[in-house]
Amino acid sequence: MQAIDRIVFGDNQFFGINHMSQEKAQQLSEQFFNISNVYQVYDVAFEAGIRAVMLNSNDRAAVICDHFRENPRKYGDIRWYPSIPYPHKYANLVAEKGIIPAINEVLFKHNSTGDILGIMAKGGIAVFSKDALMVMQMLVDLEMKMFRGLDIKVVFLQNIITDLILGYGVRAVFEGYCDYIRKRYGALPGLITQNMPFLKSKLEEWGIGEVVICSSYNKIGYLMSPDVESYVMAARNNDPSVYQLMAMSTLASGAIPASDAYDFINRQNIQSVVFGASSRGHIRETVDLIRI
Amino acid sequence: MPEIKLAIVGAGRMGITHYAIINSHPDVSMVSVAEPSPLVLTLMARYLSVATFKDYRQLFDQTHPDAILVCTPPNLHFEIIREAGRRGIHVFSEKPFTTKFAEASELARYFTDLGLINQVGYVNRFNDIFCKVKEYIAGGLIGKVIRFKSEMFCCTVTHRDEGSGWRATHECGGGAVYEMASHAIDLVNFLVGKPEKIVGSSLNHIYSKNVEDAVSTTLLYRNDVSGTLYINWSDTSYRKPVNKIEIFGEGGRILADQYSAKIFLNKPAESWSLHQGWNTIYVTDVFKPVPFYVRGNEFTRQLYHFVECIRNRSAFSRCTFSDGADALEVIEEIFTDYELHGRI
Ligand SMILES: NC(=O)c1ccc[n+]([C@@H]2O[C@H](COP(=O)([O-])OP(=O)(O)OC[C@H]3O[C@@H](n4cnc5c(N)ncnc54)[C@H](O)[C@@H]3O)[C@@H](O)[C@H]2O)c1
Repeated sequence: MQAIDRIVFGDNQFFGINHMSQEKAQQLSEQFFNISNVYQVYDVAFEAGIRAVMLNSNDRAAVICDHFRENPRKYGDIRWYPSIPYPHKYANLVAEKGIIPAINEVLFKHNSTGDILGIMAKGGIAVFSKDALMVMQMLVDLEMKMFRGLDIKVVFLQNIITDLILGYGVRAVFEGYCDYIRKRYGALPGLITQNMPFLKSKLEEWGIGEVVICSSYNKIGYLMSPDVESYVMAARNNDPSVYQLMAMSTLASGAIPASDAYDFINRQNIQSVVFGASSRGHIRETVDLIRI
Repeated sequence: MPEIKLAIVGAGRMGITHYAIINSHPDVSMVSVAEPSPLVLTLMARYLSVATFKDYRQLFDQTHPDAILVCTPPNLHFEIIREAGRRGIHVFSEKPFTTKFAEASELARYFTDLGLINQVGYVNRFNDIFCKVKEYIAGGLIGKVIRFKSEMFCCTVTHRDEGSGWRATHECGGGAVYEMASHAIDLVNFLVGKPEKIVGSSLNHIYSKNVEDAVSTTLLYRNDVSGTLYINWSDTSYRKPVNKIEIFGEGGRILADQYSAKIFLNKPAESWSLHQGWNTIYVTDVFKPVPFYVRGNEFTRQLYHFVECIRNRSAFSRCTFSDGADALEVIEEIFTDYELHGRI
């Protein structure tokens, strides 16, 4: 399996996401309302030596991708780690309309190639369920559209989807997703999860390897189910040629000072860290602290 | 010990999430799902080893579950739960439990008499921060509570064309009061207690034709305690649902949401490690990890608690049908108050 980047620059800060404090989230969303402020922070990250970007497929991400595509000389060597889907889009649509109309709207609103409701009306529910994996592939392509032409290393499935399917224990979906990402995008399949040890053991049981697993990883065990000890054990016993592990939420939403956080992270058997920050000082400091 | 045979009635958004969570429990075996949507049913039948039914009565007849999770639109809960009780089945019901106080009280009595485990899905009671706030209040950290403000915001309904589905009618249990205010009311009942009287209720339509999108009201208690409630489910400035509660007591003030709490104290409270003046606690300071995570610790914890109560009958259920009935009593009073006094 091709090695992933040791440090990947994340995106939560750009989208006004701060789980701990609404004021902070608000302040970030004002700061980055002007998209050129986003580009500036990326430039700071690249100056600090980072060459890899994780980006969730939300509406603003499309604009960001355009910017990078339009400047190939400056950004041509940047490696991309998209995460799909943008969960809130689906969550709200499903709440409003129900599952099928939501899928229908997402897939076909701006597209006249077909209509899931139409297919189903023609007695096609059987077709649909037989081809559930095909519907998944269509959804993946739709989310991935904005990243076309960029150098894609890993395509991550968001944890809300990964962990839902993990809860159901449906091997076929994981297999289908991983195969498709490899074949269609020539990239490594990635799974974001809040249950890393359990996910890893299921993938092993199912014989699904060469996957990147991204999970919260911090010394207080925040968003790490079942507990921090199980993570440390799972990482210690991991063969990185089968699963590459990427840590996120290393500071546990700011609960752990950076130096303490990376003291812990640097002692773990993990291959990569994704972090987000919006100031030059924090970006530089973090890059210096990561010694995995 | 034999596994608990569990079934889900209503596999929509919540049913689908609950399934994934509870399926991870080592003591639980998922036996069946009842759901009228052919697509969800065919997919489940194809990919999972559960029996699937269109009708919950058939599910009861053929798979004999020990316990069910009821996740249909709220107006259907009553019939389903009563039938489950008749068959000696333990029930976890999604909020708002039923759409009528009378039905809710009937079920609460019925299940207590039968000695069956009964729980309602007011998930905030299992949130790390709100549990901590409950400890503070019960332990007298801010002394006698005098005033409070309970609010909830989200962006569930943000267009005019969302007229279909059960969320668009009161009869089915839709509208911001049943759907959202119920959470904010239960949080008040949980932390402060049930109000004696409701006054000054007003409802607003923002996008919906037949149901309210925003509501506010005042809750009165004996002993000079009072509080206000404000809920808006069409507020696009919130990316995801937030409950906020502010409680003022003789000894200080607490402001909390799902992620953090700010506490102002008139005097230091050493036993809580809190000092005089402002203190902040974050969920990262107080969380307890859960065995399996899908969408928030509280969602796992409430379902594992349900299983724990079935396993260990002496376990004290933290959100019973009777709690569900209490919230519905307040909801009905808000509607009545609004009908009588809320319009010019
Ligand atoms: N605790 C929370 O945070 C939370 C969040 C959302 C919804 N809820 C509650 O969960 C419940 C369901 O909400 P939802 O968002 O999942 O709605 P939904 O519309 O997505 O799901 C309801 C499901 O019930 C099915 N159904 C309808 N009639 C049925 C019947 N007779 N038998 C079996 N199934 C039937 C529908 O086909 C649908 O799939 C409601 O009570 C709602 O208030 C709770």
